[in-house]
Amino acid sequence: MPPSLRRCAGLLALLLVGGCGGGADGPADGRTPVVFWHSFVSSTIPALDSLVARFEAEHPEIDLQPQYVPTGDALVQKLITAVRSNTAPDVSWIHADYLEDLVAADAIYPMAHFIEGPNGMSAEDLADIYPALLTYASYRGTLYSMPMEATNLGLLYNKDLFREVGLDPERPPQTWEELVSYSERLRLDRNGDGRYERIGFMVPVRPGTGPDGPWMVWQFQPFMMQAGTDHLVNEEQTRVLFADEPAVQALSLWERLFDLQNQRGFTNEYQSAFVSGQGAMMLDGPWSLPNYPRLLEGIDWGIAPLPAGPVRPATVVGGEYLAIFRQSAHPEAAWTFVKWVTQPEVQAFWSQRSGYLPIRASVTEVPEYRAYLETNPGLKAFVEQMAVARAQRPIEYSALEIQRELAIAIEQATVGTLDARTALARAAEASNAMLARADRTPPSPAPPETTAVTTARR
Amino acid sequence: MAGVLTGEGQRVSRAAADVVRAEAAAVPVPPAVRRAPGRREGLTAFLFLSPTLLVFVVFVVFPILFSFYLSFQQWNLFADDHAFVGLANYGAVFSDPEFWQVFWNTTVYTVATVPLNMVLALGVAVLLERRVRGKRLLRAAFFTPVVVSSVAAGVIWRWVFDPNLGLANVALTAVGLPAVDWTANAAAAMAALIIVGVWKTFGINMVLFAAGLSAIPSHYYEAAAIDGARSWSQFRHITLPLLAPTTLFVLVLSMIGSFQVFDVVFVLTRGGPLGATKVLVYYLYEHAFKFFDMGYASAVAYLLFAVLFVLTLVQVRAFRNRGAVAV
Repeated sequence: MPPSLRRCAGLLALLLVGGCGGGADGPADGRTPVVFWHSFVSSTIPALDSLVARFEAEHPEIDLQPQYVPTGDALVQKLITAVRSNTAPDVSWIHADYLEDLVAADAIYPMAHFIEGPNGMSAEDLADIYPALLTYASYRGTLYSMPMEATNLGLLYNKDLFREVGLDPERPPQTWEELVSYSERLRLDRNGDGRYERIGFMVPVRPGTGPDGPWMVWQFQPFMMQAGTDHLVNEEQTRVLFADEPAVQALSLWERLFDLQNQRGFTNEYQSAFVSGQGAMMLDGPWSLPNYPRLLEGIDWGIAPLPAGPVRPATVVGGEYLAIFRQSAHPEAAWTFVKWVTQPEVQAFWSQRSGYLPIRASVTEVPEYRAYLETNPGLKAFVEQMAVARAQRPIEYSALEIQRELAIAIEQATVGTLDARTALARAAEASNAMLARADRTPPSPAPPETTAVTTARR
Repeated sequence: MAGVLTGEGQRVSRAAADVVRAEAAAVPVPPAVRRAPGRREGLTAFLFLSPTLLVFVVFVVFPILFSFYLSFQQWNLFADDHAFVGLANYGAVFSDPEFWQVFWNTTVYTVATVPLNMVLALGVAVLLERRVRGKRLLRAAFFTPVVVSSVAAGVIWRWVFDPNLGLANVALTAVGLPAVDWTANAAAAMAALIIVGVWKTFGINMVLFAAGLSAIPSHYYEAAAIDGARSWSQFRHITLPLLAPTTLFVLVLSMIGSFQVFDVVFVLTRGGPLGATKVLVYYLYEHAFKFFDMGYASAVAYLLFAVLFVLTLVQVRAFRNRGAVAV
């Protein structure tokens, strides 16, 4: 049956070709496409749309295509797959923890490639960006990405519940001791069964080995900083610091709060528990602000700086960082966007719409932005807290594994039965063994231009 | 007469097989199919199959072989080159105490889930065999969890088992029982996982059992009824032995399925608290797609394969010795 055979073969060919087609070969209108991977939450998307519209109005030659990728494990998995299959985006959100692998694979440009190029960036502009953010954006002292926005952690609290138990709603807890005593006042056992239906500060415990483990570690960090240790690892990257006294004090505080309130393991959504009045205080960041008017409707809420620890007031700085991929067909167009987004007026625009904090201190001195802050006390509290915001030194070897060890220790000391000191000692021992095994040969041959722009290691 | 029925299942099943064979012979078969296929027809058939074969080779056969190769390599997925490390990955797996913990957790999950699952599936299948009002609706209802996305189901159950807001604790306290710390208590978290695991998968086994039940000729029951056998002895001496092939199939499948459990764990408990619900495939996932240690993860995968292979052999052998299955 030759005819039917031929038809079969034709069909097969069609299937194969059809499966491989459909690649984006540039738009018909002549604009340069720039694919931008991000993990903004849904409440930030309207702000992102307005940012993209403004960019394209100023740069009509570029077609910026934002694409959502779930954050956490999914983002790094997709980046690896994309790099391996030669389909990497032009520019993507990345996290400091991914830099080790991305740099080793030579997947991204060092920023000096663009900063010193024809469409460069001045030293003054670079110096205006919070140094903490540049620390996170760098790997072993070389800048590999640019911050897009800043965040930190503050204390969200319910003023109604403060009033109910006779606490001054305009005086949130100032110290660790007050955090404990306020929590004791706010906890409430309605039916006398020894379980609290309402608690004060919700200790943000999550399964240590789960996808939220690194998130929990990040939330734990301001407490370490308040007790005197900024970093998880020493400068030589040979020893972790979370078995030292400050970290033990911080975890002991969490352990104490957890036990004191008989907090029952982890709830799925601390925010939901806050909304339903089951917790009066929680950690939260400025990215949630656009959601509050709808989410916290009917609640008199406030944002306060985190209570000061035994050594100092402090919070942890976070942010999102943009990296440009070597596989990009239009790296200069991608850089145009990255550079554009760091401009002060764009930062002010972006902050007002998204709730994120500006990456440059100078933006907060713009009168227009100052006036906006007066109308938005929540954002103002976060911006002011940047004065005590501190950065952590990135872990350069086995970062994810080491954070997991710390996450397990936090879980063991709160949900589990170990005390903080023992749990941290075990985690530190395992982590130090990983650091001892680390392959310390330098990453891929560094291109000559990387030497010029480096950031100070803190 | 009753002696025949209460005798070994083998004799009965052989009789059943004869019936099936006789029925098959009664169906007229077009002579063309009987003819040995020529080479050209074989080629045609192959071409028709080729899309499926291609997909099968690319997405199933190749990964299986590649992963075996990888289990002797060290590779972080990013780098272009991988290094041969011999049996080092297997050695590292065996010397990791966490591996033994997740192996134990998986065993506990399987030992609890499989019997529960099978008893429930068989029970419901037998009950729905009878004349019940709304039989189809009930069957569909029991089957629904199978087709529901695991992630969606996991999210819903996560809320049900939420220690503060969840329906499970509301229900428990409403009837005067103490609330359970579903997420903080190791045993409770495992129990929650088992409940969801059984809920999610027993529907498919119910359908398999139902198919097995409907294949049992009704005259055995009629004959037994005449002999005065009550429903329990009918079940014990007709249904169970004749259902043995189905039971073996369901057992093997459930065992493999529960050793491979991942999605529900990933969404429901995330391995917590303190790793109490961390199972083998979750452990594998963490090493493969979080730490990108592909060689190590492949070694775990092949150890899991070895365990399942041995377990399946043992089950088939056990059933064959009892004469229930002709393998």
